Amino acid sequence: MDTSHVLSKDDVYRWADDLVGRFRVFGPVLQKRNQTTFESIQAGGQLNLDYCSTMLSPRSFIYPSVQKLLEIDRKANTYKVVDPGPEQTQLIFAIHPCDMHAITVLDRTFLGDFQDYYYSKLRQGTRTVVLNCNRACDKGFCPSMGTGPFLKIQEGYDIVMTALGDEFLLQAGSQRGRELIEAAPGVEAATEEHLQRKVAIERQAVASFQKSIDVQGLPELLMQTFDHPVYKEVAEERCLGCTNCTMVCPTCYCYNVMDRSNFGPTKVERGRQWDSCQDLSFAQVHTGNFREPQQARLRQFLTHKLCTWLEQYGCFGCIGCGRCMTWCPTGIDIIDMAKEIQRAPTRGLEQE
Amino acid sequence: MNTLTVNPLVAEVARVEEKIDETADTISLRLSHVSSKPLAYSPGQFNMVGFGGFGEAPFSFSSLDTGDGTFVHTIRAAGNVVSALQQLERGDPVAFRGPFGTGWPLADARGKSVLIVAGGIGMAPLRPVVYYVLKNRDSFRDVYLLYGAKKSDDLLYEREFARWNEGMTVLLAAEQVQSELDLPVHEGLVTKLFQSVHLSWPETITFTCGPQVMIKFVAGLLILDGQRPQDIYISLERRMKCGIGHCGHCQIGARYVCQDGPVFALADITRFQDTLL
Repeated sequence: MDTSHVLSKDDVYRWADDLVGRFRVFGPVLQKRNQTTFESIQAGGQLNLDYCSTMLSPRSFIYPSVQKLLEIDRKANTYKVVDPGPEQTQLIFAIHPCDMHAITVLDRTFLGDFQDYYYSKLRQGTRTVVLNCNRACDKGFCPSMGTGPFLKIQEGYDIVMTALGDEFLLQAGSQRGRELIEAAPGVEAATEEHLQRKVAIERQAVASFQKSIDVQGLPELLMQTFDHPVYKEVAEERCLGCTNCTMVCPTCYCYNVMDRSNFGPTKVERGRQWDSCQDLSFAQVHTGNFREPQQARLRQFLTHKLCTWLEQYGCFGCIGCGRCMTWCPTGIDIIDMAKEIQRAPTRGLEQE
Repeated sequence: MNTLTVNPLVAEVARVEEKIDETADTISLRLSHVSSKPLAYSPGQFNMVGFGGFGEAPFSFSSLDTGDGTFVHTIRAAGNVVSALQQLERGDPVAFRGPFGTGWPLADARGKSVLIVAGGIGMAPLRPVVYYVLKNRDSFRDVYLLYGAKKSDDLLYEREFARWNEGMTVLLAAEQVQSELDLPVHEGLVTKLFQSVHLSWPETITFTCGPQVMIKFVAGLLILDGQRPQDIYISLERRMKCGIGHCGHCQIGARYVCQDGPVFALADITRFQDTLL
């Protein structure tokens, strides 16, 4: 990060007005019942820059919940790729650090050994402006996961903003971001004092978190405790298998592929939609179901996010946003479960 | 980050060259590759095969790559995709993506004895191993093939058994013995055949594929008898939608069956949950 700039709060909204003219801008908009959601905005004034968390992360703008992949003509035997767009270059405004981090986690899946054509195009066509969090959200524990409340990644985003009272500090993470900042109305170079304020605010923000977990040694512990009774207890008492946790999780990438056709079937549209390891049929083959018990499915979610993801992708699959526990209808909290395993790793083994 | 020109979800077209009735519910399709793009595959790898309108499913190669652009998949009736595949006739087009996954570690097995244990349709991904061993017979020491099925009529490729038996010891088992085959069929489970196997475990590599429960008992027996878990290789079946480690369905712990497998060293996969092994 070579240079830092500042914009007054009013100019941030004006800047967003400018961006709306150049890009399809998605930003946080306050809705009914005090909920904020990411919406396509037409003016900076629609933005709610003071939001805590949204139910859905902005992952859907890069990895849509439902997406057409191919148009298949069975007579001509042709497979035509459906362009994933975007029709206009997209910009996600005021994405929080945990959610930005989550997109870079998704990158490791979709831009790995095999690259997903559709994801790659949307990721490439989307600019990201991160807004650091100045306070904790209800169930968030990003400091524990190293994903917030201030942005921790060095690349993969375009700009990071920090609210410093009536001013916003703007720092570029890419050349694209640098160009956007330079074009912002009323932009000025930041001073040393601005940077010091940022450090102080980050310290306060980190201190405001109630929820935390010590992840030191946690993946190793979880590898050794697949049979811990907490999985069975929580699954049997509370897990409905509703898949909410995986739908709101910003790093969940699983998808199902579906063909839709005319009655011929000569014209077929192949598409995909988000799938969930919590769904009963997820690991079903004709000879059996490899994750039929609820406890196995719940364990899959927890151990994948907090343990096996690390071996697969070199990072946690959990970014500490707290959405899975917030939107679980029975309040299942994987962090409480992991802590129970940390507290009593051999519980359930004594009888044997 | 560069925008891609390759889309791994786009299928290629192949034509049915030959349709072979194997058993009452199983056929083999020999397919030829239409495009000029080279298709090099190794034993143990698989293709996603299917049609628009029916979807795709993973099928192992049941042939050895001879470089002529053809490949064989052996397909048992189970599910939508297969019902559609079984209706194919010579000349019909079929779509495939692949080859995907890792194969059997045949190079590591050179200089050693080989034990092949197959159950039912699990013989399909092992047939190229048999072909490979026969083709490179001098590279291996003692070689056994133990093959079992519920009914002896369900044993695949029985027309080839006599030829295979010239290069390796082929032992057959079926719970229900029906018509006479070229080789004797022992009544019972495939594990019963172990009595007739005489191998030195430290110099033996095992390749096995079949129903999970068979793999479980075969591996258990071998380990009890002294074979090291890292010398036992298994090929697993899981639900797959993409074949490229994205859709998540085939995941076992930190492994994707499609990308890291379908062939695994037993020791590498049993450390995870939900293997049912």
